[in-house]
Amino acid sequence: MDMNCEQAQQELLDYLSKELPAEEQTRVEAHLAHCAGCQEELQALRQVWHTLGAVPVPEPSENLRPAFYSMLAAYKEEEAAKPTFSLTGIWEKMQAWLVPGSALRLAYGLGLLVMGLVAGYWLNSSPKAVAPATADQQQLAALTSQVEQMRQVMLLSLIENPSATERLRAVSYTKELSGANDRVVDALLSTLNHDENVNVRLATLEALAQLAHEPNVRLGLVKALKNQDSPLVQSALADVMVQLQERRSVQPLRRLLNQPGLNKAVKSKIEESLKNLSNGRPAAPSTTEPYHETDYTPQPADPAGTAV
Amino acid sequence: MLRVKAGDVDRMGLLFERYHRKLFGFLYHMLGRADTSEDLVQTVFYRMLKYRHTYTADGEFRTWMYHLARNVLADHIKKNRHSTHHADVADFAEKIGGGTQADESLQREQEVATLHQALSHLSAENREVLILSRFQELKYGEIARVLNTTEGAVKVRVHRAMNELKTIYLRIEN
Repeated sequence: MDMNCEQAQQELLDYLSKELPAEEQTRVEAHLAHCAGCQEELQALRQVWHTLGAVPVPEPSENLRPAFYSMLAAYKEEEAAKPTFSLTGIWEKMQAWLVPGSALRLAYGLGLLVMGLVAGYWLNSSPKAVAPATADQQQLAALTSQVEQMRQVMLLSLIENPSATERLRAVSYTKELSGANDRVVDALLSTLNHDENVNVRLATLEALAQLAHEPNVRLGLVKALKNQDSPLVQSALADVMVQLQERRSVQPLRRLLNQPGLNKAVKSKIEESLKNLSNGRPAAPSTTEPYHETDYTPQPADPAGTAV
Repeated sequence: MLRVKAGDVDRMGLLFERYHRKLFGFLYHMLGRADTSEDLVQTVFYRMLKYRHTYTADGEFRTWMYHLARNVLADHIKKNRHSTHHADVADFAEKIGGGTQADESLQREQEVATLHQALSHLSAENREVLILSRFQELKYGEIARVLNTTEGAVKVRVHRAMNELKTIYLRIEN
Protein backbone atom coordinates (compact mmCIF):
# COMPACT_ATOMS: atom_id res chain seq x y z
CA MET A 1 0.00 0.00 0.00
CA ASP A 2 1.48 3.28 -1.06
CA MET A 3 1.46 6.34 1.21
CA ASN A 4 0.51 9.81 0.07
CA CYS A 5 2.79 12.87 0.23
CA GLU A 6 1.37 14.14 3.49
CA GLN A 7 1.97 10.86 5.26
CA ALA A 8 5.43 10.52 3.76
CA GLN A 9 6.51 14.01 4.76
CA GLN A 10 5.49 13.32 8.32
CA GLU A 11 7.89 10.41 8.38
CA LEU A 12 10.77 12.11 6.55
CA LEU A 13 12.52 13.34 9.67
CA ASP A 14 12.37 9.97 11.33
CA TYR A 15 13.52 8.48 8.08
CA LEU A 16 16.53 10.76 8.19
CA SER A 17 17.38 10.03 11.77
CA LYS A 18 16.73 6.33 11.17
CA GLU A 19 14.11 6.12 13.87
CA LEU A 20 11.60 4.35 11.68
CA PRO A 21 10.86 0.67 11.96
CA ALA A 22 12.12 -1.28 8.94
CA GLU A 23 8.68 -1.74 7.46
CA GLU A 24 7.93 1.99 7.53
CA GLN A 25 11.37 2.70 6.12
CA THR A 26 10.62 0.69 2.98
CA ARG A 27 7.25 2.34 2.58
CA VAL A 28 8.80 5.81 2.70
CA GLU A 29 11.46 4.72 0.21
CA ALA A 30 8.79 3.36 -2.11
CA HIS A 31 7.01 6.69 -2.04
CA LEU A 32 10.18 8.71 -2.53
CA ALA A 33 11.11 6.64 -5.56
CA HIS A 34 8.31 8.14 -7.62
CA CYS A 35 7.65 11.50 -5.93
CA ALA A 36 9.96 14.35 -6.91
CA GLY A 37 8.28 16.79 -4.53
CA CYS A 38 9.01 14.69 -1.50
CA GLN A 39 12.56 14.07 -2.68
CA GLU A 40 13.09 17.79 -2.74
CA GLU A 41 11.56 18.11 0.68
CA LEU A 42 13.82 15.39 1.98
CA GLN A 43 16.82 17.15 0.48
CA ALA A 44 15.98 20.43 2.24
CA LEU A 45 15.32 18.65 5.47
CA ARG A 46 18.54 16.71 5.21
CA GLN A 47 20.52 19.87 4.70
CA VAL A 48 19.04 21.51 7.76
CA TRP A 49 19.34 18.35 9.84
CA HIS A 50 22.96 17.77 8.95
CA THR A 51 23.92 21.39 9.28
CA LEU A 52 22.23 21.39 12.64
CA GLY A 53 24.46 18.52 13.62
CA ALA A 54 27.47 20.60 12.64
CA VAL A 55 26.55 23.56 14.81
CA PRO A 56 29.54 23.83 17.09
CA VAL A 57 29.35 23.68 20.82
CA PRO A 58 32.24 25.41 22.51
CA GLU A 59 34.19 23.45 25.05
CA PRO A 60 33.42 24.39 28.62
CA SER A 61 36.25 26.40 30.08
CA GLU A 62 39.04 25.11 32.27
CA ASN A 63 37.29 26.45 35.34
CA LEU A 64 34.33 24.15 35.20
CA ARG A 65 36.02 20.99 36.44
CA PRO A 66 37.82 22.47 39.47
CA ALA A 67 34.67 24.41 40.31
CA PHE A 68 32.67 21.19 40.30
CA TYR A 69 35.10 19.32 42.51
CA SER A 70 35.35 22.11 45.04
CA MET A 71 31.56 22.24 45.12
CA LEU A 72 31.48 18.49 45.71
CA ALA A 73 34.00 18.75 48.52
CA ALA A 74 32.10 21.61 50.11
CA TYR A 75 28.91 19.62 49.86
CA LYS A 76 30.49 16.63 51.55
CA GLU A 77 31.71 18.77 54.41
CA GLU A 78 28.31 20.31 54.80
CA GLU A 79 26.78 16.85 54.80
CA ALA A 80 29.23 15.59 57.40
CA ALA A 81 28.44 18.57 59.61
CA LYS A 82 24.81 17.53 59.81
CA PRO A 83 24.70 13.76 59.52
CA THR A 84 21.03 13.73 60.38
CA PHE A 85 20.23 15.05 56.94
CA SER A 86 18.71 12.10 55.19
CA LEU A 87 15.32 10.92 54.23
CA THR A 88 15.02 8.73 57.29
CA GLY A 89 16.25 11.57 59.48
CA ILE A 90 13.55 13.87 58.21
CA TRP A 91 10.99 11.13 58.61
CA GLU A 92 12.00 10.54 62.19
CA LYS A 93 11.77 14.22 62.93
CA MET A 94 8.33 14.34 61.44
CA GLN A 95 7.26 11.36 63.48
CA ALA A 96 8.54 12.94 66.63
CA TRP A 97 6.35 15.88 65.78
CA LEU A 98 3.27 13.98 64.80
CA VAL A 99 3.31 11.24 67.38
CA PRO A 100 2.19 12.33 70.88
CA GLY A 101 5.15 13.84 72.70
CA SER A 102 5.62 17.54 72.30
CA ALA A 103 2.47 18.33 70.34
CA LEU A 104 0.24 16.67 72.90
CA ARG A 105 2.03 18.25 75.78
CA LEU A 106 1.60 21.61 74.14
CA ALA A 107 -2.11 21.00 73.68
CA TYR A 108 -2.39 19.91 77.28
CA GLY A 109 -0.60 23.02 78.49
CA LEU A 110 -2.74 25.29 76.37
CA GLY A 111 -5.89 23.55 77.57
CA LEU A 112 -4.92 24.07 81.19
CA LEU A 113 -4.10 27.70 80.52
CA VAL A 114 -7.47 28.34 78.92
CA MET A 115 -9.26 26.66 81.78
CA GLY A 116 -7.28 28.67 84.29
CA LEU A 117 -8.20 31.87 82.51
CA VAL A 118 -11.85 30.93 82.37
CA ALA A 119 -11.88 30.00 86.03
CA GLY A 120 -10.08 33.19 86.99
CA TYR A 121 -12.47 35.28 84.96
CA TRP A 122 -15.41 33.59 86.58
CA LEU A 123 -14.16 34.10 90.08
CA ASN A 124 -13.27 37.72 89.50
CA SER A 125 -16.23 38.87 87.51
CA SER A 126 -18.98 37.85 89.91
CA PRO A 127 -17.78 38.32 93.43
CA LYS A 128 -20.81 40.41 94.44
CA ALA A 129 -23.47 38.05 93.29
CA VAL A 130 -24.90 35.96 96.08
CA ALA A 131 -26.53 33.17 94.16
CA PRO A 132 -23.54 32.37 91.92
CA ALA A 133 -21.64 30.96 94.90
CA THR A 134 -23.02 27.53 94.24
CA ALA A 135 -22.85 28.13 90.50
CA ASP A 136 -19.18 28.92 90.90
CA GLN A 137 -18.63 25.72 92.71
CA GLN A 138 -20.44 23.81 90.03
CA GLN A 139 -18.37 25.50 87.39
CA LEU A 140 -15.20 24.66 89.25
CA ALA A 141 -16.26 21.08 89.66
CA ALA A 142 -16.93 20.89 85.95
CA LEU A 143 -13.54 22.38 85.18
CA THR A 144 -11.80 20.04 87.56
CA SER A 145 -13.38 17.06 85.96
CA GLN A 146 -12.36 18.34 82.55
CA VAL A 147 -8.76 18.70 83.65
CA GLU A 148 -9.00 15.19 84.98
CA GLN A 149 -10.23 13.94 81.63
CA MET A 150 -7.43 15.69 79.82
CA ARG A 151 -4.87 14.08 82.08
CA GLN A 152 -6.35 10.71 81.33
CA VAL A 153 -6.16 11.36 77.61
CA MET A 154 -2.56 12.50 77.98
CA LEU A 155 -1.67 9.43 79.94
CA LEU A 156 -3.27 7.09 77.46
CA SER A 157 -1.47 8.71 74.51
CA LEU A 158 1.93 9.08 76.09
CA ILE A 159 2.05 5.56 77.44
CA GLU A 160 2.40 4.32 73.85
CA ASN A 161 5.35 6.60 73.18
CA PRO A 162 8.55 4.96 71.94
CA SER A 163 10.62 7.00 74.39
CA ALA A 164 10.89 5.53 77.88
CA THR A 165 11.11 9.03 79.38
CA GLU A 166 7.73 9.89 77.89
CA ARG A 167 6.21 6.68 79.20
CA LEU A 168 7.55 7.43 82.68
CA ARG A 169 5.93 10.82 82.44
CA ALA A 170 2.67 9.20 81.43
CA VAL A 171 2.76 6.92 84.43
CA SER A 172 3.44 9.87 86.70
CA TYR A 173 0.17 11.45 85.63
CA THR A 174 -1.71 8.77 87.56
CA LYS A 175 -0.61 10.46 90.78
CA GLU A 176 -2.63 13.49 89.76
CA LEU A 177 -5.72 11.49 88.98
CA SER A 178 -8.22 11.16 91.78
CA GLY A 179 -9.53 7.89 90.47
CA ALA A 180 -8.71 5.83 87.46
CA ASN A 181 -11.22 4.54 85.00
CA ASP A 182 -11.03 1.13 83.43
CA ARG A 183 -9.16 2.32 80.38
CA VAL A 184 -6.41 3.86 82.47
CA VAL A 185 -6.13 0.78 84.65
CA ASP A 186 -5.96 -1.45 81.60
CA ALA A 187 -3.26 0.70 80.05
CA LEU A 188 -1.20 0.65 83.25
CA LEU A 189 -1.54 -3.09 83.73
CA SER A 190 -0.57 -3.68 80.13
CA THR A 191 2.50 -1.48 80.63
CA LEU A 192 3.39 -3.37 83.80
CA ASN A 193 3.24 -6.66 81.93
CA HIS A 194 4.73 -5.74 78.60
CA ASP A 195 6.90 -2.65 78.78
CA GLU A 196 10.48 -3.44 77.86
CA ASN A 197 12.00 -0.91 80.25
CA VAL A 198 12.44 -1.96 83.88
CA ASN A 199 12.20 1.61 85.16
CA VAL A 200 8.89 2.15 83.46
CA ARG A 201 7.56 -1.12 84.87
CA LEU A 202 8.67 -0.20 88.39
CA ALA A 203 7.07 3.23 88.16
CA THR A 204 3.89 1.64 86.86
CA LEU A 205 3.84 -0.79 89.73
CA GLU A 206 4.18 2.06 92.18
CA ALA A 207 1.34 3.91 90.51
CA LEU A 208 -0.86 0.83 90.54
CA ALA A 209 -0.14 0.13 94.19
CA GLN A 210 -1.73 3.47 95.02
CA LEU A 211 -4.84 2.42 93.17
CA ALA A 212 -4.96 -0.96 94.89
CA HIS A 213 -8.23 -0.16 96.67
CA GLU A 214 -9.88 -0.95 93.35
CA PRO A 215 -10.61 -4.68 93.12
CA ASN A 216 -9.67 -4.95 89.46
CA VAL A 217 -6.28 -3.36 90.15
CA ARG A 218 -5.58 -5.87 92.91
CA LEU A 219 -6.53 -8.74 90.68
CA GLY A 220 -4.39 -7.35 87.88
CA LEU A 221 -1.40 -7.11 90.18
CA VAL A 222 -1.80 -10.70 91.32
CA LYS A 223 -1.97 -11.83 87.73
CA ALA A 224 1.05 -9.75 86.82
CA LEU A 225 3.26 -11.85 89.08
CA LYS A 226 3.70 -14.61 86.56
CA ASN A 227 4.59 -12.21 83.75
CA GLN A 228 7.63 -10.64 85.35
CA ASP A 229 11.11 -11.74 84.51
CA SER A 230 13.09 -8.88 86.00
CA PRO A 231 14.27 -9.58 89.58
CA LEU A 232 13.74 -5.93 90.48
CA VAL A 233 10.10 -5.99 89.49
CA GLN A 234 9.54 -9.43 91.04
CA SER A 235 10.84 -8.22 94.39
CA ALA A 236 8.88 -4.98 94.25
CA LEU A 237 5.72 -6.84 93.34
CA ALA A 238 6.21 -9.25 96.25
CA ASP A 239 6.56 -6.23 98.56
CA VAL A 240 3.32 -4.81 97.27
CA MET A 241 1.56 -8.10 97.83
CA VAL A 242 2.70 -8.15 101.44
CA GLN A 243 1.63 -4.56 101.94
CA LEU A 244 -1.79 -5.32 100.54
CA GLN A 245 -1.97 -8.61 102.42
CA GLU A 246 -3.25 -10.08 99.23
CA ARG A 247 -3.74 -13.77 99.92
CA ARG A 248 -4.57 -14.58 96.34
CA SER A 249 -0.94 -13.93 95.54
CA VAL A 250 0.26 -16.93 97.55
CA GLN A 251 -0.28 -19.38 94.71
CA PRO A 252 1.48 -17.37 92.00
CA LEU A 253 4.31 -16.56 94.41
CA ARG A 254 4.83 -20.25 95.17
CA ARG A 255 4.86 -20.98 91.45
CA LEU A 256 7.39 -18.24 90.95
CA LEU A 257 9.52 -19.79 93.66
CA ASN A 258 9.67 -23.05 91.73
CA GLN A 259 10.81 -21.37 88.57
CA PRO A 260 14.22 -22.57 87.48
CA GLY A 261 16.92 -19.95 87.37
CA LEU A 262 15.19 -17.63 89.82
CA ASN A 263 17.48 -15.03 91.26
CA LYS A 264 18.70 -16.00 94.75
CA ALA A 265 17.93 -12.68 96.34
CA VAL A 266 14.46 -12.72 94.86
CA LYS A 267 13.99 -16.26 96.10
CA SER A 268 14.70 -15.36 99.70
CA LYS A 269 12.60 -12.25 99.29
CA ILE A 270 9.61 -14.27 98.11
CA GLU A 271 10.06 -16.82 100.87
CA GLU A 272 9.98 -14.00 103.40
CA SER A 273 6.91 -12.52 101.71
CA LEU A 274 5.12 -15.87 101.81
CA LYS A 275 5.87 -16.18 105.49
CA ASN A 276 4.45 -12.73 106.08
CA LEU A 277 1.35 -13.47 104.10
CA SER A 278 0.61 -16.74 105.89
CA ASN A 279 1.18 -15.11 109.29
CA GLY A 280 -1.22 -12.39 108.38
CA ARG A 281 1.22 -9.90 109.76
CA PRO A 282 1.01 -6.38 108.43
CA ALA A 283 3.87 -5.68 106.21
CA ALA A 284 6.97 -4.18 107.59
CA PRO A 285 8.96 -2.13 105.19
CA SER A 286 12.02 -4.13 104.41
CA THR A 287 14.99 -2.70 106.22
CA THR A 288 17.51 -5.21 105.01
CA GLU A 289 19.04 -4.96 101.61
CA PRO A 290 17.52 -8.06 100.07
CA TYR A 291 19.20 -7.74 96.75
CA HIS A 292 22.10 -6.01 95.25
CA GLU A 293 21.40 -4.23 92.04
CA THR A 294 24.70 -4.63 90.35
CA ASP A 295 24.62 -8.39 90.71
CA TYR A 296 21.94 -9.10 88.25
CA THR A 297 20.20 -6.05 86.84
CA PRO A 298 19.57 -7.00 83.28
CA GLN A 299 19.22 -3.37 82.23
CA PRO A 300 20.78 -0.26 83.73
CA ALA A 301 18.55 1.04 86.47
CA ASP A 302 18.97 4.63 85.43
CA PRO A 303 16.45 6.70 87.40
CA ALA A 304 16.18 9.22 84.56
CA GLY A 305 14.87 6.47 82.36
CA THR A 306 17.10 5.85 79.42
CA ALA A 307 15.29 6.12 76.15
CA VAL A 308 14.94 2.68 74.63
CA MET B 1 23.55 7.43 40.38
CA LEU B 2 22.03 4.83 42.67
CA ARG B 3 25.33 4.62 44.49
CA VAL B 4 25.38 8.37 44.88
CA LYS B 5 21.89 8.19 46.23
CA ALA B 6 22.98 5.56 48.73
CA GLY B 7 25.49 8.04 50.11
CA ASP B 8 28.55 7.42 47.93
CA VAL B 9 28.79 11.08 47.00
CA ASP B 10 32.23 10.67 45.43
CA ARG B 11 30.63 8.76 42.59
CA MET B 12 29.22 12.07 41.46
CA GLY B 13 32.64 12.79 39.99
CA LEU B 14 32.16 9.93 37.55
CA LEU B 15 28.82 11.25 36.44
CA PHE B 16 30.28 14.69 36.05
CA GLU B 17 33.04 13.40 33.78
CA ARG B 18 30.60 11.48 31.68
CA TYR B 19 27.84 14.03 31.26
CA HIS B 20 29.03 17.56 31.84
CA ARG B 21 29.83 18.23 28.16
CA LYS B 22 26.42 17.13 27.00
CA LEU B 23 24.78 19.13 29.71
CA PHE B 24 26.86 22.15 28.88
CA GLY B 25 25.92 21.76 25.22
CA PHE B 26 22.24 21.64 26.06
CA LEU B 27 22.41 24.74 28.21
CA TYR B 28 24.59 26.53 25.71
CA HIS B 29 22.13 25.94 22.90
CA MET B 30 19.26 27.00 25.07
CA LEU B 31 20.93 30.18 26.33
CA GLY B 32 23.55 31.00 23.75
CA ARG B 33 25.98 32.07 26.46
CA ALA B 34 28.96 29.97 27.48
CA ASP B 35 29.72 31.62 30.82
CA THR B 36 26.16 31.42 32.11
CA SER B 37 25.87 27.84 30.86
CA GLU B 38 28.89 26.87 32.93
CA ASP B 39 27.34 28.36 36.03
CA LEU B 40 24.17 26.45 35.36
CA VAL B 41 26.02 23.15 34.82
CA GLN B 42 27.35 23.67 38.32
CA THR B 43 23.87 24.36 39.64
CA VAL B 44 22.46 21.23 38.00
CA PHE B 45 25.11 19.04 39.58
CA TYR B 46 24.53 20.66 42.93
CA ARG B 47 20.83 19.90 42.67
CA MET B 48 21.61 16.32 41.78
CA LEU B 49 23.43 16.00 45.08
CA LYS B 50 20.80 17.81 47.05
CA TYR B 51 17.83 16.05 45.54
CA ARG B 52 19.44 12.69 45.00
CA HIS B 53 16.72 11.01 47.05
CA THR B 54 14.23 11.89 44.30
CA TYR B 55 16.12 9.79 41.79
CA THR B 56 14.44 6.47 41.17
CA ALA B 57 16.11 3.47 39.68
CA ASP B 58 13.49 2.93 37.01
CA GLY B 59 14.13 6.29 35.33
CA GLU B 60 17.21 6.71 33.20
CA PHE B 61 19.84 9.02 34.59
CA ARG B 62 19.99 11.18 31.45
CA THR B 63 16.27 11.81 31.59
CA TRP B 64 16.50 12.86 35.20
CA MET B 65 19.47 15.10 34.45
CA TYR B 66 17.66 16.99 31.69
CA HIS B 67 14.63 17.23 33.88
CA LEU B 68 16.69 19.02 36.54
CA ALA B 69 18.47 21.07 33.89
CA ARG B 70 15.16 22.35 32.56
CA ASN B 71 14.12 23.44 36.03
CA VAL B 72 17.42 25.21 36.59
CA LEU B 73 17.05 26.88 33.21
CA ALA B 74 13.51 28.00 33.97
CA ASP B 75 14.65 29.47 37.30
CA HIS B 76 17.50 31.25 35.59
CA ILE B 77 15.29 32.74 32.90
CA LYS B 78 12.76 33.87 35.48
CA LYS B 79 15.50 35.61 37.42
CA ASN B 80 17.11 37.30 34.41
CA ARG B 81 14.10 38.20 32.39
CA HIS B 82 15.57 41.52 31.30
CA SER B 83 19.01 40.49 30.23
CA THR B 84 19.64 39.70 26.59
CA HIS B 85 19.87 36.18 25.32
CA HIS B 86 21.89 34.73 22.53
CA ALA B 87 24.40 37.50 22.54
CA ASP B 88 27.25 35.14 21.66
CA VAL B 89 25.37 33.51 18.83
CA ALA B 90 24.39 36.80 17.26
CA ASP B 91 27.96 38.08 17.40
CA PHE B 92 29.24 34.86 16.02
CA ALA B 93 26.76 34.83 13.17
CA GLU B 94 27.42 38.42 12.26
CA LYS B 95 31.17 37.99 12.16
CA ILE B 96 31.04 35.05 9.82
CA GLY B 97 27.92 36.03 7.93
CA GLY B 98 29.63 39.21 6.74
CA GLY B 99 32.15 37.41 4.58
CA THR B 100 31.64 36.99 0.80
CA GLN B 101 34.35 34.46 0.06
CA ALA B 102 33.37 31.73 -2.33
CA ASP B 103 35.63 29.28 -0.58
CA GLU B 104 33.70 26.07 0.00
CA SER B 105 34.66 25.50 3.60
CA LEU B 106 33.78 29.06 4.40
CA GLN B 107 30.47 28.67 2.68
CA ARG B 108 29.81 25.64 4.82
CA GLU B 109 30.79 27.59 7.87
CA GLN B 110 28.39 30.28 6.87
CA GLU B 111 25.59 27.78 6.49
CA VAL B 112 26.24 26.50 9.94
CA ALA B 113 26.33 29.99 11.35
CA THR B 114 23.09 30.84 9.64
CA LEU B 115 21.47 27.76 11.03
CA HIS B 116 22.79 28.52 14.45
CA GLN B 117 21.22 31.92 14.14
CA ALA B 118 17.98 30.38 12.92
CA LEU B 119 18.01 28.06 15.91
CA SER B 120 18.22 31.00 18.25
CA HIS B 121 15.11 32.45 16.63
CA LEU B 122 13.05 29.38 17.39
CA SER B 123 10.68 29.48 20.30
CA ALA B 124 12.30 28.03 23.40
CA GLU B 125 9.82 25.18 23.36
CA ASN B 126 10.69 24.11 19.83
CA ARG B 127 14.40 24.71 20.27
CA GLU B 128 14.38 22.48 23.30
CA VAL B 129 13.00 19.40 21.54
CA LEU B 130 15.35 19.89 18.62
CA ILE B 131 18.38 20.14 20.88
CA LEU B 132 17.34 17.13 22.86
CA SER B 133 16.77 14.99 19.80
CA ARG B 134 19.55 16.25 17.52
CA PHE B 135 22.38 17.22 19.86
CA GLN B 136 21.71 15.12 22.88
CA GLU B 137 20.51 12.21 20.77
CA LEU B 138 17.63 11.34 23.00
CA LYS B 139 14.89 9.09 21.68
CA TYR B 140 11.35 10.45 21.51
CA GLY B 141 10.43 8.27 24.46
CA GLU B 142 13.20 9.73 26.59
CA ILE B 143 12.33 13.27 25.60
CA ALA B 144 8.74 12.54 26.51
CA ARG B 145 9.87 11.52 29.98
CA VAL B 146 11.98 14.66 30.37
CA LEU B 147 9.07 16.86 29.37
CA ASN B 148 6.40 14.83 31.13
CA THR B 149 4.43 14.28 27.98
CA THR B 150 3.68 11.50 25.49
CA GLU B 151 5.89 10.16 22.77
CA GLY B 152 3.34 11.16 20.14
CA ALA B 153 3.31 14.75 21.35
CA VAL B 154 7.11 14.89 21.23
CA LYS B 155 7.13 13.58 17.69
CA VAL B 156 4.66 16.21 16.57
CA ARG B 157 6.64 18.93 18.29
CA VAL B 158 9.95 17.87 16.74
CA HIS B 159 8.38 17.91 13.28
CA ARG B 160 6.88 21.30 13.84
CA ALA B 161 10.18 22.63 15.18
CA MET B 162 12.05 21.24 12.22
CA ASN B 163 9.68 22.91 9.77
CA GLU B 164 9.90 26.19 11.60
CA LEU B 165 13.68 26.00 11.62
CA LYS B 166 13.75 25.25 7.92
CA THR B 167 11.56 28.27 7.18
CA ILE B 168 13.67 30.61 9.31
CA TYR B 169 16.85 29.22 7.81
CA LEU B 170 15.70 29.77 4.25
CA ARG B 171 14.49 33.25 5.10
CA ILE B 172 17.87 34.26 6.58
CA GLU B 173 19.80 32.69 3.73
CA ASN B 174 17.92 34.52 1.03
